[in-house]
Amino acid sequence: MTGFWPILKRELFALFVTPLAWVVITGFLFIQGMHFYLVMSHYAVSMELGADAGPMQLFFGQTVFLYLPLLLLCPVLTMRLFAEERRSGTIEALLTAPVTTPAVVFGKYFAVLAVYLVMWLPTLLYVKIVSGTGQVDGQVVAASYLAVVAVGSGYLAIGTMTSALTKSQLSAAILSAVTIIALFILGIGEYVLPEGSGKELCAYLSVWSQMNDFSRGIVDSRRLWLDLTIIVVPLFVTVRAVEAWRQEL
Amino acid sequence: MAMIEVEDLHKRYGPVHALRGISFGVDRGVLTGFLGPNGAGKSTTLRILAGFLGATAGRVRVAGFDLRTHRLEAARNIGYMPETSPLYPEMKIEEYLRFRAELKGVSRSKRTEEVGRACELTRIADRRRMLIRHQSKGYRQRVGLADALLGRPPLIILDEPTAGFDPNQVQQVRTLLDDLRAEHTIFLSTHILSEVEATCEEAVVIHEGRVVASGSIEALRKRKRAGVVEVTFHRGEGALRDEELSAWLTQSEAIAAAGRRRGDNGLETWRVTLGPGVDEDAVETLVAALVRAGAGIRAVEPLAVSLEEVFADLTGATPEDEDEA
Repeated sequence: MTGFWPILKRELFALFVTPLAWVVITGFLFIQGMHFYLVMSHYAVSMELGADAGPMQLFFGQTVFLYLPLLLLCPVLTMRLFAEERRSGTIEALLTAPVTTPAVVFGKYFAVLAVYLVMWLPTLLYVKIVSGTGQVDGQVVAASYLAVVAVGSGYLAIGTMTSALTKSQLSAAILSAVTIIALFILGIGEYVLPEGSGKELCAYLSVWSQMNDFSRGIVDSRRLWLDLTIIVVPLFVTVRAVEAWRQEL
Repeated sequence: MAMIEVEDLHKRYGPVHALRGISFGVDRGVLTGFLGPNGAGKSTTLRILAGFLGATAGRVRVAGFDLRTHRLEAARNIGYMPETSPLYPEMKIEEYLRFRAELKGVSRSKRTEEVGRACELTRIADRRRMLIRHQSKGYRQRVGLADALLGRPPLIILDEPTAGFDPNQVQQVRTLLDDLRAEHTIFLSTHILSEVEATCEEAVVIHEGRVVASGSIEALRKRKRAGVVEVTFHRGEGALRDEELSAWLTQSEAIAAAGRRRGDNGLETWRVTLGPGVDEDAVETLVAALVRAGAGIRAVEPLAVSLEEVFADLTGATPEDEDEA
């Protein structure tokens, strides 16, 4: 992994200086702030609390506002990773340095992942606010964040891959958004398909179901294996794609 | 020991056969020019040497490491400046060079010193805190050059190092190369022949993906030394007119062309181009022909041929074409 740290640091620098990271984080927190406000105002008027339907469960598992920004912000975060380097030609200087291809790919990937984590960090405040008004189940919160990180890591891996597959940032963003949205829509199959293997497959792939389970504290390892697959496969394809440029540029 | 060894290197881009089996070597400590018209395959070759591109076939060893199996080890021995000097515009020059130094494995304690030295050598020290975005093409090129020097690699590969420089800056680069040659092997590509003549000891000439010549600059120049001579002679009363004399001389296969350069009917100097593939014998033929035409020969002087002409001859282009390219 020669070269991993300098590449990670430079990517973080680029993300925060350009200032893509700030824009994404601000956009995300604005939407999540609204989302949290809606959740809280809902509970302010409706006093009925189910056993597994507290504000944190609702926030993480039962509204679409959690996914919508991710479907768009993850592609925006990852779009320039490789596409911009290829367009501007800086990839030539990068790949002729004594660095391995996995170091380049992982350095870039972990930089966007770090931004993603920073993006979620302020939402811990919501947990603090909710815990001020009632009891919050620590396990539910931990499981919810685990799911959010696992799902986001997969989306970022897909974005990293599409950025390596095209020279245009815009195409990279569109391609990854389409892929992520397609994955999301597959999950809806769980509710519309007739009983059978198709329905089961859709249920297995459904991010919606995963968030629903995890936000109730149900950590299903099969879901985590799926998430891991969605991280590993695109990153493997990215490494191969970058190596292939050496033959075809 | 050779710093660069290239054997039967091929590169195809789809249907385009960019390199058609080139072989050459560059010895340690020698400043070698890599010459060829645009599109000859120079950048492709350098990109393969730098480990950016893979070869379709053939073998490349850099500093003793086979690029196919030991790319990383080879890369540690190379400082490479790509043709366009692509840089990250959002970084300051110093930030960029520190990043590159770290990437090249320069230890933290030596990084400041290394970056400072590279900035001094390339004369960008006064701009090191400025954003790359705000630099002119010439300065960006210098940052690229400074990058290639980081970590003091034994081999420095420069792709068109003076492109984008004004004449003063070109001179500064030549001085820099002179300073560096004691410590590094330098391999630089260019399509400007005067640059090779001014700075390099050896040259490899490539055309349409093939090496058409290689060797010392002196040897390359000699390839055509017998080709053109200037003859100064006295033409007697009632001698042949210019056209007649020209026709008379070019009767022999040994003489390709002849024409008056200066002087009048008293003492005049003609430039004579000898036929292709002939040696010094052609000069005898020329002198004999002139004597038979009644001329009194005063001097015969072989012309030192510029590399431009050798190059044009080797690549089948005219020197003017190359200047425009």
